[in-house]
Amino acid sequence: MKRRIFAAMMAAALAVTGLAGCGGSTEQKNEEKETAKAEVPAEPFGDTIKYDPSVEINDGKDISVELWEWGSDDLFQKVIDGYTAIHPNVSIKLVNNPWEDYWTKLPLALDGEKGPAIFNIHNSYHENLINYLAPLDIPLEDLQADFTGVDAHVIDGEVYYIDYGMMTGSVYYNKKMWEEAGLTEDDIPKTWDEMREVAKKLTVRDGDKLIQAGLNFNDDFHQNYLLGLNYQLGENLFQEDGKTPNINTDAMKQVMQMLVDMYEVDGVGSKDFGEKGSDSFGQGQSAMVIQWGHYYNTLKTTWSDIDFGVFEIPTFDGNPYAYNRYNGESTFGINKNAPEDQQAVAQDFVKYFLANDEAQIEFNLAMSTFPAKKSLAENEKILENPSLRVLSEHIDHYIWPGPMPSTMETSLKKAGQDIFFNGVDIDTAFAEAQENIIKDMKNSSFVSVENLYAYAE
Amino acid sequence: MFKKTHPLQSKSEIILRNIVVIAMVIFFTVFLIVPIGIAFAGSFHEWNPLSGTYNFLGLENYKEVFTSGLFGKSMLNTVIFSVVVIIFRVGLGLGIAYAIYSALVKYKSFFRAVYYMPVVTPMVAVAFVWKFMYNPQIGTINQIFGLDINWLMNPKTALLAVMVMTIWKDFGYAVVMYMAGLYSLPADALEAAKVDGANAWQTFRYITLPLLKPMTLFVVITSIISYIQAYVQILIMTEGGPGTATYLASYIIYDEAFVKYNFGYASALSFVLFVITAVFTWLSFRVSGTEE
Amino acid sequence: MRRKISAVVLNVLLLLLGVVTVYPFVWMLSSSFKKNSEIMALEQHLLPQVFTLDNYVNMNAHFNFLRFFLNSLVVTLVVTVLVIYTSTLCGFVLSKYKFRGRNVLFGFVLSTMMIPWCVTIIPKYSMIQSFGWMDSYKALIIPAMFSGFGIFMMKQHISSLPDEILEAARIDGANEFYIFHRIVFPMAKNGISSIAIFQFLWTWEDFLWPYLVINSQEKQLLAVGLKMFNGQYSTDYGALFAATAISIVPVLLIYLFFQKQFIAGIAASAVKG
Repeated sequence: MKRRIFAAMMAAALAVTGLAGCGGSTEQKNEEKETAKAEVPAEPFGDTIKYDPSVEINDGKDISVELWEWGSDDLFQKVIDGYTAIHPNVSIKLVNNPWEDYWTKLPLALDGEKGPAIFNIHNSYHENLINYLAPLDIPLEDLQADFTGVDAHVIDGEVYYIDYGMMTGSVYYNKKMWEEAGLTEDDIPKTWDEMREVAKKLTVRDGDKLIQAGLNFNDDFHQNYLLGLNYQLGENLFQEDGKTPNINTDAMKQVMQMLVDMYEVDGVGSKDFGEKGSDSFGQGQSAMVIQWGHYYNTLKTTWSDIDFGVFEIPTFDGNPYAYNRYNGESTFGINKNAPEDQQAVAQDFVKYFLANDEAQIEFNLAMSTFPAKKSLAENEKILENPSLRVLSEHIDHYIWPGPMPSTMETSLKKAGQDIFFNGVDIDTAFAEAQENIIKDMKNSSFVSVENLYAYAE
Repeated sequence: MFKKTHPLQSKSEIILRNIVVIAMVIFFTVFLIVPIGIAFAGSFHEWNPLSGTYNFLGLENYKEVFTSGLFGKSMLNTVIFSVVVIIFRVGLGLGIAYAIYSALVKYKSFFRAVYYMPVVTPMVAVAFVWKFMYNPQIGTINQIFGLDINWLMNPKTALLAVMVMTIWKDFGYAVVMYMAGLYSLPADALEAAKVDGANAWQTFRYITLPLLKPMTLFVVITSIISYIQAYVQILIMTEGGPGTATYLASYIIYDEAFVKYNFGYASALSFVLFVITAVFTWLSFRVSGTEE
Repeated sequence: MRRKISAVVLNVLLLLLGVVTVYPFVWMLSSSFKKNSEIMALEQHLLPQVFTLDNYVNMNAHFNFLRFFLNSLVVTLVVTVLVIYTSTLCGFVLSKYKFRGRNVLFGFVLSTMMIPWCVTIIPKYSMIQSFGWMDSYKALIIPAMFSGFGIFMMKQHISSLPDEILEAARIDGANEFYIFHRIVFPMAKNGISSIAIFQFLWTWEDFLWPYLVINSQEKQLLAVGLKMFNGQYSTDYGALFAATAISIVPVLLIYLFFQKQFIAGIAASAVKG
């Protein structure tokens, strides 16, 4: 018996290692193909920020640097290939880390001497990284001329990274369910009241049992509703000092109350129906979800069977202070502790990335973010993506609060779970959230940039 | 330090002994005592490696540990979690081992191997699989039993669900341990019981069980140590939720150290946990000792 | 007759429990041949409706699986062999030599088992950094060379070996190195098997430490690799299950290989408490 199990497992292991081997070789072939494809531009390119490919880097001597990122190898490799085609003496080694652990490991690596020269940034981890960042050596005016939202990134006159794209939430709806409920394009809701009515029509029940949720916000209500809809009611996430959270407010509670009412009064969904709203929509169980731009790619890849449409997030009165919160996808960071020659390469690489329209478009499409580069706002390829098209009209009416510490999300998630699952009332839960956030932010250097919003009152 | 104590002590013995003792002392000093010292010192500081802060706080961190309602709650969860899982682990382990050991079961090594499979599987993977099985809509558990329970999000069932998963993963360890124990029982004691006319239950209760006590102690103590440190299943299955319903002590430490980078506070928590572990271990020694 | 009935009942019960134990594995294995959309689909079937090998083939999109696998194997084997050797040696010295401070030393070794990982991991990390061992297997191997648990097990085990054999060898003029390597070591093989299984499993599945100290992709270990399926916005479950399915194989093999000695080793070490 034992021997037979053993033999079977050996066979399985061999088969699998054989497979893995095959995979490896095809991957290599792909890489070769891609390298061969990269074109070498001869002329300087870019808008205000220009990149001149004829300038040698590191005096033409061989140099190797590391670039750390999470999970988008192909995207980064393409930019790297384009860059190294211009500068064959530079080799950039891509290091991929899983998202969660990237943030455990990167700060610790940067604390040592062998940290990567270039690394991808997500602004939610701003504070863990800012002490290791070297400022960009591109003039501030040039950055401001080419990109929106640069002001929010100025720290004592220096800029360490900016956004290449802006991501925010929109409503994704299942077209088939929409039709089945007898709804048409004209029924696309503009206000929350209309939204709730539509959601009711999209809800299907068998007696008491929910079959299809009209709207599902399980597991993401904190990101997609609580942290953003406050702006529609004219309330910021942080108080005027820019440091004290503004969670325990009527606006926030009103949003939370609306969520509770949608499930408990309207009955358009349930806290127990669909572990995650995003999955439930993909499974064809929920008719609408509010998701941020990245969801577009999830639908395209994992849930390709779902025929979906996108519309702009509803408002309370049609004339909001701002529509929602947005968050930037950041450009790369440069490690200030890296050797000088590596930093020079890193600076040059960032400049190449910013000047390169093609790279900007590809990154924005891959992340489903709206380009921060001004010259690309009307770009055809960008507007082809429905999740970006719905944003184009009011994209200036979205607020970035700055790189909020993650406790904002986790504390509100906890508060919401306490309300939905543990029977805690809204007042208590939000007071507690407020307290937790203050405690976690005790040593934080974060200052909100909500006051830099173009239409700030 | 090294005194000659037995007559045959040779030169090579002294050399070997010195090498081993010195190596052990150096190793445990460098990789245990020194780090503990650093952590202990750190527990009195506001210590954040990222912002480079290292400010003396005195007992502030410890004060926070003992006044934080969350730590108290998570400690309670940890105790419930550990006690329940250990009881089931020991109970199931002993019962099943005894069943397999009995003459009634034929394919002993088959069962032994099957039950041990979850033990040798990485917790990360197992936790993901169970998270799927607990899913309220598509999960196997609700589908098989025709239930409609949101296992991991209902405060009444969430910790229970994690405990069931942990029991599933770990009972095989106790099975194998007890089987080892059963196989090494002195045959003459069992024979004697038979001769005295003891029935199966009596033999088990009065002969086998006491003889297995060292093994029980071993399983209980290794379990205490590992469950007080458990966090991976929480990290993957509930993230402490709903709300803070499934926070375990080690999960807070992980969160404070590697998510929030409050090394000082995390160190203070660790020491408190260390003391608690030591007390529980000592208690189980005591309990088993006083029984005799 | 009654005996027969209880035998059937018992076997059926054990078999049922076996099914419960194995079911998640079957589910995982079967899911590793499904597309992600099917894994999460509303309509659940145990067997894949659309059988796909993509998860196995695409594993390389996330990482070089074979490389990680071999790295893990090498590191785990080295650590296991080292721990076996040091544990047996320390166990031998602590159980068969009498010297002052022996009990203190052993008591100390015992107490090391109680120290939670979280106490030492932070300082250990900064120490490794200052030694310049980051991103090198030194950081994985050297701090793992001695194991309190291993020493404890081996001390218990070796003290059960009869002194007479050792004394006889000594009278024959054998030195202690010879005695240890040629007499004690082979006689301790059951204890060694149990340590081998425990240590192999622990090193194989240890995640946090290698994650913290190893940076390069080429040096990364499998347990860390398994986390690579956890993306920023979603998890690639199919690939995760595929990789897990394969990563369990070596541990199961080691266990099946050493099973018999393992049981005997545990018995000898732990029963004596």
